[in-house]
Amino acid sequence: MTKHATFLMCSPRGEKSASYSLGNYVSSLLEDRGITVKSFHTYKTLKNSEKIEEMIASINESSIIILSSPLYIDSAPYMTIKLMDTVSTAKQEGKINDDKRLLLAISCAGYLEYYHNNIALKIYKQFAKKNDFTWAGGFPIGAAGTFAMHTVPGLLEQVAQLPEDDVRYQIYGKPTKILDSAFKTAVEKISNGEVIPKEELLKLEVVVMPLGSYIEGGNKNWIDWAEKIGTVEKLRDKPYEKK
Amino acid sequence: MSYLILNGMQSNDSIIPKINKFIAEKLQEHDIKGEILNLHEKDIKPCLGCFKCWVETPGICIIDDFGREVAEKMIQSDYLFYITPIKYGGYSSELKKALDRSIGLLMPFFRIFHDEIHHETRYDKYPNFSVIGTLDEPNKEQEEIFTNLVKRNSLNNFAPKFTSQIIYTSDDEQTIKTKIDNSLRIMGEEND
Ligand SMILES: Cc1cc2nc3c(=O)[nH]c(=O)nc-3n(C[C@H](O)[C@H](O)[C@H](O)COP(=O)(O)O)c2cc1C
Repeated sequence: MTKHATFLMCSPRGEKSASYSLGNYVSSLLEDRGITVKSFHTYKTLKNSEKIEEMIASINESSIIILSSPLYIDSAPYMTIKLMDTVSTAKQEGKINDDKRLLLAISCAGYLEYYHNNIALKIYKQFAKKNDFTWAGGFPIGAAGTFAMHTVPGLLEQVAQLPEDDVRYQIYGKPTKILDSAFKTAVEKISNGEVIPKEELLKLEVVVMPLGSYIEGGNKNWIDWAEKIGTVEKLRDKPYEKK
Repeated sequence: MSYLILNGMQSNDSIIPKINKFIAEKLQEHDIKGEILNLHEKDIKPCLGCFKCWVETPGICIIDDFGREVAEKMIQSDYLFYITPIKYGGYSSELKKALDRSIGLLMPFFRIFHDEIHHETRYDKYPNFSVIGTLDEPNKEQEEIFTNLVKRNSLNNFAPKFTSQIIYTSDDEQTIKTKIDNSLRIMGEEND
């Protein structure tokens, strides 16, 4: 019997987002194994009652759910919480049956350190628990902006020719290879109805460059953008300062 | 001195209005004035994740709705309260729809703070910060997530003093008042 999965994409940035890029990659790995995947962009879906019904029906048919979300203020964004409430209500109303279902979550942080995502992933685990979904495991992604610009296979292709001691290989190549391998193991496991081994997820717990280098690069990006639109002088404005 | 209460309840909540009233009364006793924003009654569009509040219109969200006013009131308060039903260990969607719109209160630039990457401050002064979450019954896992979330938030919103408190819907009036008193005392005193 064909297995189904539902991909819940929770970024307002649509296909330009890290949440999409990573969740879509996992979906494609599931499809490679003959699993059909239906995707829902929650910012669009939750505005439309027919789409909500479609999403709930898809979850009901699925043995795998992929939730991929940005990290907003140390936790789930508004729309991701609303999504969890919508699914929980549907479950309470009996619109989602009690069949075994695995939830894999991906949390995408802007900061470099992966662990900023830990609370959000615990929240998604509680969501799984409330709805009797089996928690397959959570992927904490630091500096996720990289994946908003590149897909995992695209990035791997770019670094393929770099020697291992090249700094770009250390920063992008090595962690992406680890992530790719963890995604592949995860997909193999969840396709067979199993959870992701903890050791696999622990491999993701690395900070891939000195904090100072990330800060320097990140701050330069803000200035470059501001220079393009002529707002550099205004960046430090305090519009709401108490008079 | 002023306070701001961000009320993150769903429309049918029985306990949160009581909590808000106790906080307001207690603060008025100390001549601290302020207001309660019932977020579930407000039309606040979701954050677009565009970062234009950092670069295009620095400090102001590009969406012109009540979300802007909330951010302005947050930074102008001395005592900032989030009151929320605890959802999966975190905040309610009603509270979060406003908070996600407030990142313009920070600068885009990164720096090291408490040995981690955080943003630079935009303003010279940030409010003391207290979060009260409600639960129908004790839930160890969710309480731990919630307490840690408030702690992490206090780093990202530069609160000089912060506190978190959990109130159960079964708590009697005296217990609720004692818990609120504890939070207010910590906000007014030293916090480690
Ligand atoms: C409102 C808002 C709040 C954010 N809060 C955090 C945060 O607390 N920690 C963090 O590391 N990144 C934070 N970020 C950055 C995003 O998590 C980061 O840009 C992520 O890659 C976005 O994922 P997406 O491309 O899937 O939308 C925040 C971004 C926005 C817009």
